[in-house]
Amino acid sequence: MMKTKTRLLLNSIAALSTAMLLFTVSSCKKEVFSQGTVKSFSLQSAANGVTYDIKVALPSGYNPAAGKYATIYLLDGEEIFDFTANSCQEIAGKNGVANALVVSIGYGQDRSIDYTPTKISNSTGGAPQFLDFIASQLIPKMEQDYNVDTSRAGRVILGHSYGGLFGAYTFCVNQKLFGHYLLLSPSLWFDNLVTLQLEKENRALNRISPALVFMGIGEAENSGRMQAPFESFYQSIRDQYPAVTLSKNREKNLAHLGSRNPNIIKSLNFYFQNR
Amino acid sequence: MNKRKFSIVFLLVLVYATNFAQLKIRVVTDKHHTVRSFTIDPAIGFHTNFGSDFLLSTLVQWNPLKYLSLASHSSFAFNNIFQRDFNGVKTNYNYSILQKFGAGTTFYSRKSSNTFLLMAGMKYTSFKETMKNPDNQPIKAAINSFSPDYGLMYALRKGVKNRFFTFRMYVPLYPWPMKGSDISYADGNLNNIALELGVGLKIK
Repeated sequence: MMKTKTRLLLNSIAALSTAMLLFTVSSCKKEVFSQGTVKSFSLQSAANGVTYDIKVALPSGYNPAAGKYATIYLLDGEEIFDFTANSCQEIAGKNGVANALVVSIGYGQDRSIDYTPTKISNSTGGAPQFLDFIASQLIPKMEQDYNVDTSRAGRVILGHSYGGLFGAYTFCVNQKLFGHYLLLSPSLWFDNLVTLQLEKENRALNRISPALVFMGIGEAENSGRMQAPFESFYQSIRDQYPAVTLSKNREKNLAHLGSRNPNIIKSLNFYFQNR
Repeated sequence: MNKRKFSIVFLLVLVYATNFAQLKIRVVTDKHHTVRSFTIDPAIGFHTNFGSDFLLSTLVQWNPLKYLSLASHSSFAFNNIFQRDFNGVKTNYNYSILQKFGAGTTFYSRKSSNTFLLMAGMKYTSFKETMKNPDNQPIKAAINSFSPDYGLMYALRKGVKNRFFTFRMYVPLYPWPMKGSDISYADGNLNNIALELGVGLKIK
């Protein structure tokens, strides 16, 4: 009797574990952008010599003759390209507006080099060169090869974590490039809050430029460095930039990585509804 | 997504029901095993997020049947205790209070017992960060949030006397997969895996 029960329990636990494993595996399936066309090319940066793999999601029904398309430049593209491209397709369709081209910038070198504004170690401080690459090579290449909107208002930058930090850095030091900023869980704590200082230094120059800024974070990001700098940057933009349309979202019960995709969806909704 | 969630819950209920469908109700009298019907296990522990959360917890367990265990787990977590001042960002306080109830089963051997529990409850987290912005104005960010807390708990009890060594591990199933099937949610789960060690007391 005892052995039968034990066997029953062990079998049940094995069945449960198998079910959990199957569920896990099915959840881990990589999302693929399937509703449009993806074009790929590589581009070597003249600023730092690094080659970046670029992918461009052309929306379904992409027609260069129909009009200029907005472009969304995506940092950490290797991680979130397909999810973002699919989300754009869905959200643009839902809102009845023209979709944008999603431009994924792959990792040429360590992301912590490319996305951080100042050098505090050998693996940080490459943001000025990376920004130069985007401004002087990638954007001109996109404008040459595709029928994209060449105005500042037609370009969006989207980044998460260090990518969000790079987006905030771009907002502070070169507002000519992007008209819209989707900043998700930005690592504004970096180098003793240097990006907040950059914001203040360039405020007089930037404060009259119209822009859409979305700031998203996870409510459960309680590592003691994320929330207060996020709030500080948000308040500065809210109080000092009258031409900026601003939105903030704290994703309930989610942490740094978990909040990323929900915030991508909310930021794209914000962008497509307000641009 | 909902289908998946319901399938998992349905499967758990089925497994649980199968386990106890044929058990007779009887008083626990097994003299050859470490059967205890009521225990209180206080413990200290940490979360696996780099070990920076310190936990105080208690598991109260009642076994009305030899193979049926009911439990209550209460925990207080001092979160992120080693990093309260970082790059000019000060953490004024950061804690969580967790209360869960659960049911499961216990396997017995001569000197130890192994309990597996499905737990469900609530978690309250409160923390506040402050800093000065570049204009030297104070900035504060305070979060107070409730969240569901589901998970699997394993408890090992070692020893045959009224006091015994206890170890337990809790693996949360929230936010993944209960909130959503997006695997990136799992960073919230990984941050809250708890390992706890303590001395248990046999009450009955």
